[in-house]
Amino acid sequence: MATERSRRRALTLGAVATAVIAVLYLTSGVVAGLKSAANVVVNPFSWTVNQVARPIGHFLAGAINFNDVVAQNQKLRYELGKAQQQANQTWSLQRQLQQLTSELHVPFVGSLPMVAAQVTAISPTNFAATVDISVGRDNGVLAGMPVVANGGLVGSIISTSPHGSTVRLITDVNSSIGVTYASGKDTLLVTGRGVNNGLAATSVPLTTSISPGTIIATDGLQGGLYPPGLPVASVTKVSLTPGAATYNLVLRPSADLRNLHYLDVVIWEPST
Amino acid sequence: MRRALVPAALVTLLVVAIQLEVFSSLRVSGVVFMLVWLWPLCVGLAGYTSLALFVALLGGIMFDTHATTPFGLTALVGMVLGYVASRLGREGVGDLDSAAIWVTPVIAAVGGFLAPLLYVGAGYFELNFGLWRGSLLSSMVVNAGAFFLFSRWVSRFAKLVGSVGERARR
Repeated sequence: MATERSRRRALTLGAVATAVIAVLYLTSGVVAGLKSAANVVVNPFSWTVNQVARPIGHFLAGAINFNDVVAQNQKLRYELGKAQQQANQTWSLQRQLQQLTSELHVPFVGSLPMVAAQVTAISPTNFAATVDISVGRDNGVLAGMPVVANGGLVGSIISTSPHGSTVRLITDVNSSIGVTYASGKDTLLVTGRGVNNGLAATSVPLTTSISPGTIIATDGLQGGLYPPGLPVASVTKVSLTPGAATYNLVLRPSADLRNLHYLDVVIWEPST
Repeated sequence: MRRALVPAALVTLLVVAIQLEVFSSLRVSGVVFMLVWLWPLCVGLAGYTSLALFVALLGGIMFDTHATTPFGLTALVGMVLGYVASRLGREGVGDLDSAAIWVTPVIAAVGGFLAPLLYVGAGYFELNFGLWRGSLLSSMVVNAGAFFLFSRWVSRFAKLVGSVGERARR
């Protein structure tokens, strides 16, 4: 009797839960409201866990990797100096390029305004490559804007709130980018392969001259999602597609997506 | 069950917080260990069907609101794991005190192995056909391993939380 009752209760709870999930899913506006409500509920718990876990994590990481941290610091100082020197050298060249491109009416990413942002959270799941950042609509950030950092394209904004945004990384399985390389005549479609798997391009014609090490950048075609010239990735492997006269490419993102702390949102909207 | 709801809800919120704050950055081979799935599975193994469904729903929805993946999938998978585990738990399979020491970890490992697959399968019902292209196999293996390692401790804790209601009834 008790078992029958508990089974009925479980089935009812299951049915109600499924209905709740379905209703919430179908009414996406409710999900947005629920998200902020869930944040309010979970935040005190997250804060407590953070206060306990973070110092322990830092202590352990510092103790275990102390020598590495010192070496890394020295290397970073050296690279910072080198980058500063390079920046000084390229400044005048950049000005010339900007002048030329503005005379030719070609959009140049170096001339586009950017908003700096801090990464506030990384995707908590295995099935989406996204990060949350600290700037939102109040800072002029809109859905669709490209995001760059660490030497290349990182992704694009998929949702915004007044004070924050979510960036879909280029490695996300739902990400696809139109790119070009070398002479700029050939274009490819590069897709994400998941959180840890980099990028790929399939059905690349055999006539194209592409080899490992080739750097590819956004093509900026009319109606495209990105402005031209943003470095996206470099080719790491070229292989023949089995049973077809095309190449498959494996690519490594130009930006180091594993160490994202600060990034720039390019204030540029895709043309419609 | 009703008396255990409050402690179970509090523990579930703590589990979600740990999932978001600790395990989202502490990755093994780039894969996140899904404590939000292990928790309902262990509550189920302790024999509490309704409680397992409740914690799976609460934890799953709270987690899903923080992720960009299709809404409700984590909750759905957690509920399936919790329900199936509770059927086993009610038969005494996986009981920490009477069953062999390896039974609970092995059941949990099977659950952890199948959960990402179930998640990808359920994604098709929300018209998301790209989930399998992610780190599916790594997720299955890492979660199976982590579920195997942690299941006995989490089950012990689940039993403690579930027994709050029983003690109150007595």
